[in-house]
Parts: sequence; C-alpha cells; structure tokens
Amino acid sequence: MAKATRKSSKRMTVSQEVMIQMIDVHKWYGQFHVLKDINLTVNKGERIVICGPSGSGKSTLIRCINRLEEHQRGQIIVEGTELTGDLKHVELIRSEVGMVFQHFNLFPHLTVMENLCLAPIWVRKMPRQEAEEVAMNYLERVKIPEQARKYPGQLSGGQQQRVAIARSLCMSPKVMLFDEPTSALDPEMIKEVLDVMVELAESGMTMLCVTHEMGFAKTVSNRVIFMDEGQIIEENEPEEFFNHPRSDRTKLFLSQILHH
Amino acid sequence: MAAEKKEALVLAKPPAKPPIWNDPRYRALFFQVLVLGGIILLCVFLVHNTLANLARQGIASGFEFLGRTSGFSISMHLISYAEENTYFRAFLVGLLNTLLVSVIGIVLATIFGFILGIARLSKNWLIAKLATVYIETLRNIPLLLQLFFWYFGILRQLPGPRNSIALFDTFFLNIRGLFSPQPIPQPGFWWIPAALGVAIAGIIFLARWARKRQEQTGEQFPVFWTSLGLIIGLPLIATLITGFPLKWNYPELQGFNFQGGLVLIPEFVALVLALSLYTATFIAEIVRAGILGVSHGQTEAAYSLGLRPTPTLRLVIIPQALRIIIPPLTSQYLNLTKNSSLAAAIAYPDLVLVFAGTVLMQTGQAVEIIGITMAVYLTISLLISGLMNWYNKKMALVER
Amino acid sequence: MNLLRTLVVSTAIACFTFAGVAGAGTLDDVKRKGFVQCGVSQGLPGFSNPDEKGNWTGIDVDICRAVAAAIFGDASKVKYTPLSAKERFTALQSGEVDVLSRNTTWTLVRDTALGLNFTGVTYYDGQGFMVPKKLGVKSAKELNGASVCVNIGTTTELNMADFFRANKMEYKPVVFEKADEVVAAYDAGRCDVYTTDRSGLAAQRLKLKNPDAHMVLPEIISKEPLGPVVRHGDDQWFDLVKWTLYAMLEAEEYGLNSKNVDKMKSSSDPVVKRLLGIEGDMGKNLGVDNNWVYNIVKQVGNYSEVYDRNVGPATPLKLERGANALWKEGGLQYGMPVR
Repeated sequence: MAKATRKSSKRMTVSQEVMIQMIDVHKWYGQFHVLKDINLTVNKGERIVICGPSGSGKSTLIRCINRLEEHQRGQIIVEGTELTGDLKHVELIRSEVGMVFQHFNLFPHLTVMENLCLAPIWVRKMPRQEAEEVAMNYLERVKIPEQARKYPGQLSGGQQQRVAIARSLCMSPKVMLFDEPTSALDPEMIKEVLDVMVELAESGMTMLCVTHEMGFAKTVSNRVIFMDEGQIIEENEPEEFFNHPRSDRTKLFLSQILHH
Repeated sequence: MAAEKKEALVLAKPPAKPPIWNDPRYRALFFQVLVLGGIILLCVFLVHNTLANLARQGIASGFEFLGRTSGFSISMHLISYAEENTYFRAFLVGLLNTLLVSVIGIVLATIFGFILGIARLSKNWLIAKLATVYIETLRNIPLLLQLFFWYFGILRQLPGPRNSIALFDTFFLNIRGLFSPQPIPQPGFWWIPAALGVAIAGIIFLARWARKRQEQTGEQFPVFWTSLGLIIGLPLIATLITGFPLKWNYPELQGFNFQGGLVLIPEFVALVLALSLYTATFIAEIVRAGILGVSHGQTEAAYSLGLRPTPTLRLVIIPQALRIIIPPLTSQYLNLTKNSSLAAAIAYPDLVLVFAGTVLMQTGQAVEIIGITMAVYLTISLLISGLMNWYNKKMALVER
Repeated sequence: MNLLRTLVVSTAIACFTFAGVAGAGTLDDVKRKGFVQCGVSQGLPGFSNPDEKGNWTGIDVDICRAVAAAIFGDASKVKYTPLSAKERFTALQSGEVDVLSRNTTWTLVRDTALGLNFTGVTYYDGQGFMVPKKLGVKSAKELNGASVCVNIGTTTELNMADFFRANKMEYKPVVFEKADEVVAAYDAGRCDVYTTDRSGLAAQRLKLKNPDAHMVLPEIISKEPLGPVVRHGDDQWFDLVKWTLYAMLEAEEYGLNSKNVDKMKSSSDPVVKRLLGIEGDMGKNLGVDNNWVYNIVKQVGNYSEVYDRNVGPATPLKLERGANALWKEGGLQYGMPVR
C-alpha cells in the first residue's frame, strides 16, 4: 500500500505557478517573537508538510496565511493578492484558502449538509439547490453521504474531520491548510482521515499540512519543512530530509519522533 | 455430614428472590407512597383546621366576596373600572397592572441587557469599562433601594402641575406623571391601520420571496431596508390621501391637574425603570457568558470559510450562545415578575397593592386572598417557565 | 415584605389558633406572661407615638396602660407592637397582640366578618381633608379632579370614594401603606389633597415641612368612632377592656383624678366607694383586683386627664373636647354605671 501511494505521488506534478509567497515575515505575541524571518514560496500543486516541536510556530505560520493571525512585518502574497489591513483582500483570500482545524470546529447547531452549504450560500451566493448538490458530491468523496442529515454531535471524530474537510472543499479552494488534522483523533480513526487527504493530494490540490504523521510526509509530500523557535531550520525533499537531515536539531527531532 | 450436604444444596439453588422488604424497587415505592400520603394528610389537616378555626372565631370565609361591589378607586386601570365594579374586577385591574409592568420590564431589560452584555465584550476600552462599571454598581444595590431612588429621589423632585416642564406645549412632565396627547380616530381612520396591515403582509411575502430567490439564484435582496420603507411609507401615503383623519386630545391644565391625553404615572415609570435597569445587569452577564461560552474555534472556522463578522455573529455565534443564555434568562424573567410586587412600596396599583392590600383590608379574608395571589404568581411563573423550556428544547443541540 | 408578613400571619392563623391562642383565657395568658401586648400605630402624635426616649404616649397607649394597671396594678407592664393599617387586624386575629388600640374605626364588617369585637369609643372622630392654602380651595366640593393621598386599608379609602361618587366628582387615589409615606407624598406635591380622620390631620400636619401653609377643609364626610378592639369569643377579656374605658369615664364624671384619688378613698359617696373597691366586688367580677379603678386613675388618670394630656387644647394638636365631652356637658362620652 505504501509503495503504491509512493508511486502515485511521483505522478503528481508541480507547476511553476506561484501560489503563496511569504517574504521576511515576522510576528510577535507581545514580547515573544513567534515567527522570525520566514521566507517561503509555495507553487501550485505542492504538498508541503511542516513539522517541528510544539511551540515552534508552525501553526502560527499557516494561520497567518488566511490571517487568523496577523503578521507584523514582511509580506504575504496569496495568488497575487497581498494580505494587508484591507478587509476586502482578507475576505477574498479567506474564500480561496480552505482550512481544517485540529478540533474540527464544525457548527454543532447545523446539520452536516447545512455546515457544508453555509459558506457557498452566504459567501459565494450560490442557490441552495446547487450548493446541496456540490455538498453531496464532496460528502461522497469523503465517503459519508449517508450522514448528510445528521448533526455533528452524532458523528465520530473521524467522520467529523472528514465533514470538516468536505466543508472546506465546498468553497472550491485553491489551497488547503491543515492544522494538525489528526492530533485529536483516536488512533483507529486517523487512517480514514489520512486516506481522504492522500486522495486530495492526488487530485492535485495545493496543500500545507502541519502534522506529526511522518508516514504521510514521506509518501505524499514533495517538500518537508522543519521549524524550531520560530524559524525555518531545514527544508528538503522528503527522502533527503528523513535520510540525510543536515542540522542537529532536525536529527534530534527525528530521533525523538521516529523511535519513541 | 448431612448438614453439609443440605448447605451445598442450598448454595446450588438459583439465587433466591430477596424478601419484599429488601427489594430496592419496593422499598422506593413504599417510601414514596408514605411521603405522598403524609403530605396529603398534612394538607387535609391544614385546610380543615383553618376552616374550623375561621368559623370558630367568626371570621368570614369563602369566595363570595369577589362578586361584591368594591367601592374604592384605582389610579391606573387598563380596563374600565369604577367604584361600582366588583372586587373581582379590581383583582383583574391589579393583575393587568402587574402583567403590564412585567412584560414591559422584561422587554426593556432584555434589550438593554443584550446591549450591555455585548458592550462589556467590546474591544473599545471606554465602552467596555462603562458597561462594567454600570453592571457592577447596579447589580450590587438592593432593588428596593433603587426603586426608592427613582421614585423618591428622582421623580419626587419634579415640579408641580402648574410649573410643568413642557415640550412643544403638547408633552408635560410633572410630579403627577408624563402627560402626552391621546390620538382619537376620526371617520376614515381605518385606512391607516389597513395600510399598515398591507405593509406587514407585504413584508412577510417579500421575505419569503427573497429567501426563495436566494435559494434559487443566490442573489440577496435588501429585505430590511425595503421592509422599513414599506412599514413607514404605506401608512404615510394612506394618511396623506385620507387627509389625516386623526384628532389629538391634548392634555390641558384644568383645576388641579392636567385633564385629557394619555398619562404615565410616576409610580409606573419608577417601577419599570428600577426593574428593567436592575434586571438588565444580570441579563448582561448572562449574555456575556453565553457569547464567551461559544468556543473561539467557531469564529475561526466561520472566518476561514470567508464569512464576514456580522453573518458569523448572526449565523454561527448567536444561535449557539442562545442555548447557554436561555435557561438562566428564564430565571431572570421570573425574578423580574416576582420583584414587580415591590410595587406596593411606591403606590403602584399592582396585584399585591390592590388585591392583597386594599381588597384584603376591606374584606378581611386574608387566607383566600393571599391564596389567590400566590396562585396567580405561581401560574405566571409556570407559564414563563414552560414557554422558555419549550423554546430551549426547540433550540437544543442534537448529540449522540 | 408586608406580603410576607401577612402570609406568615395567615399561616399562623391556620396553624396556631388550633393551639388555643385565640380561645378563651386571654386574661389568664396575660397574667401568666406578666404584660399586655398592645397593637398601636407606627407613629401618630396624640394617639400612639414614641417620644425621643422611645416611650409610647397617646390616648390609645393610655388605654393599654389602664388595662395593665387594672390587671397588674402597674401601668408600665405593656409591650407595644407598631402595626400598619394593613397589618393590624391580622395581627389581632392571629394572637400576635392581645388588644388593638390603634385609632381604629368601628364598622359593622369589622365587628362581624373579621371576627373582632370593638369594646367602646375612645375618640369620636370624622374624616376631613387637608389642602395647601395656595390652592385657594375653600370647600371639599371644589375638589373635582384632584389627586388624593390616602392610607391603604382604612375606612378613609372607602369614605373618600363614597364622597366623590355622591358629589359626582372625579379623583385619583395615590395609595400608600405607611402613614408617613402618605404624608411625605402629600408634602412633596404628589397629591393635592390629604385625607384621614380630622384628629389624624391635626397630628400629621405637625410633620409637614411648613404646617402653616396647609389648612383643613370644613367638611366632615364621615363618622369615625375610634376604639380598642379584641378578638371574638373571649367575653372575659372583652369585658375587662370595655369596663376599663367606662371606669375612666365614670372617674371623670364623679370627680376622681390622679391627684385626689388617695383622698377620695375616704369619701362617703357610695358610687366612689364602689369604684375604688371599698364596697362591692366589682374587680373580682372582672377577674382582677378590687382596687382596679384606683390603680387606673392613680397611674393613668381619668378620661379628661388622658384627653387633655395627649390631644387637648394645650397640646400641639389643639383639639377641643367637642363630641368627646361627657354626656352631661353635651358630648357623646357616656360611662356605663359601675355597680
């Protein structure tokens, strides 16, 4: 299985079209310097895994991309639009960038179908019927069409996370951000979520994943970024990254995460 | 040997049914019946004993007094009432006055409480601090004192009728109350409410149409502004066409007081002010807790889908916050209704002052009157409680 | 809070009357506990009012002191319970007080349906109106449309309604529970008119910011016979309270007063001898000591002493005897013969 996936990952193409660009990005929480001089370019179709010890700023980094966090210095350009204080830009970028959270953050007072249709109807001004068709399509892709009329509270964690992914996809995003999507799941549910993510990667989606799933990093990603203390320490293709880590901190981290 | 064998046999038997007095089910049932029986006996004893003692002391009992002529006047009545009416009518007047003050108090306290609660969460430092100071101050002063403050401290300082504060010579404010013109419909007046009715029907239709269109085409329609235009515009047009078929009965200073017009008596104003301003502080805290109780992840999820702050609040945060808010809000509504009985302290003719006060004194039938009064408050409270529980159930989250 | 009080008292009627509080034997109870529990007003000068030291004074208070003097030979053995107009009857019905001596008007409904007995009339009164002089009103007939401040639960409330109805006038009642609140509301200008018994008007006027700026209108719109009240069904106690008042009237009629009562012990007048317990068993018949009248007159005084001390022309109230003079002097006060 791993071999097959690996082969398929080779098939995936990476274009030269730039999707996200971060130039000299800095961020502080009060006195605390969380992001230091981040430079990162993401091309269309790239699948990037960001890892690192907790508190290294990896979540903050991807949350800056759709401005759930505000950076204080540097530039972030998403699809040619720069993130500034201009609310129009923020809204535009948010509607093009999907995000999946560690704790799913589904709307508990709405059914699965209503969760999926909310943004297409209110942001994309899509007719409800069309929105529901699109939603059903994505529910089938994440393999839970039969749960459409249920409420999030009635689903298992793995099912909820798949609904959350489908909810983001309903906005037809150009980029998907994953913030530790499997950390809050019971072990037996991790695979069903990873399978959906692998399939998404195969379809050519640009993805940035903060995750500790090194198997996913090895097989699906085309680039692994290691962060520590707010800086990008190392950045390489997965094979090189895992087999020949350059910095000592990377080696230490990998030894802790792979041999525990 | 034989004994041992016998014991073995006993052990081998399926577990014997416990004796009935050891069975927890029967035990529970027994004690429940015992307690219930005790309560019933106590009630029967109390009622019988009360009646016997009332009869022995020659104190009248029964409910015939409700049909007798009251002979006293009441300063504020929503239904027509005069001295010739019965005690029962006086009871209704008091009840309606209580309901009026409670309903208006609840509406004002809710509106003001929501504004205060959101203000306390505001990112604007001044607004947040002002709301905090207001809440912490008023919440911690006893209601009766606040009532006295408004009635004796503020409204008592107003001038007498001959030195009234006049506004455009139509509104007059003095120690006897706020006097305003009373509209008196003239022939042809019905066009105006009819136009208002058409406007309301139009708005309902418009809202449905807009929703349908939104569902089919995704286009959104400015329903709010159009509705506002309709509800003001149509009656206005009707008024202009019919040539303003409405006369005003202006209050005029005649003899001692202003005659004619509508009047808000100071006792009512003081009571509504005290009740709503006081209860609003509690509602504000409930609203704040409700909004804070919805996890920040919900806001982030909505933002990351591209929703703007206002639809996020309306579609995601408030529906969830309401579930946290409603149960404690219910008890605030109940408190306000029950607190309205403090009216007696400032001469507002509510149920307690009129019925449990004057009527009780005139008839002397304390047991019946206090009984009826308690039953009324209990009924009102249970109704509010039932209504809110129903709403809460309707809003409840479906969980696994 | 007063709802609560009424409630507690009602429950008390329901529960404790069964224990026999209201049954026969108030006199025995009083003797056992050693004092008379007397229900009075919350402060009405001349009738029942605490002075600066907290001692209660007034006609109504003196009635209670006279009852204590008759029972114990000591007029100070009284404890007072201040009651609002609204609370007073329930307090008596429930046994909270032994006698209610609180400027209470004698009416048929109160005497019957409330389970009470009026023992006599200590003060013949009538309801009047007080208005600020600056209103320029000369008669109660000119009060159409006025706001009237009144005390809840009084005959006053009903008399006023009758008066305005009979004269086809409109009025707006503003009803308070405490007499002080009524006076304060009137003083602040919430009402044009303050109505209560004329003796009350005279007394309450003293509490106004500027008493001289107000006047009492000439009309007396009702009869207000004020007297002490006891519970139905205890004739012995009823008799004692009733005859205490008659004894004070008889003492006045036969010239007995607190100063000469010792000297009068040697009088040869048989009426005086009976009154002072030198002849006959008058006290014994009532269940008290035979020198009961001596104790009353010595410690409290006769009716005229009590009247003059509390409400008479020499007091701030300046009330003439009028209807309250003895029958021999053209008044209504008539003591039944003690024999």
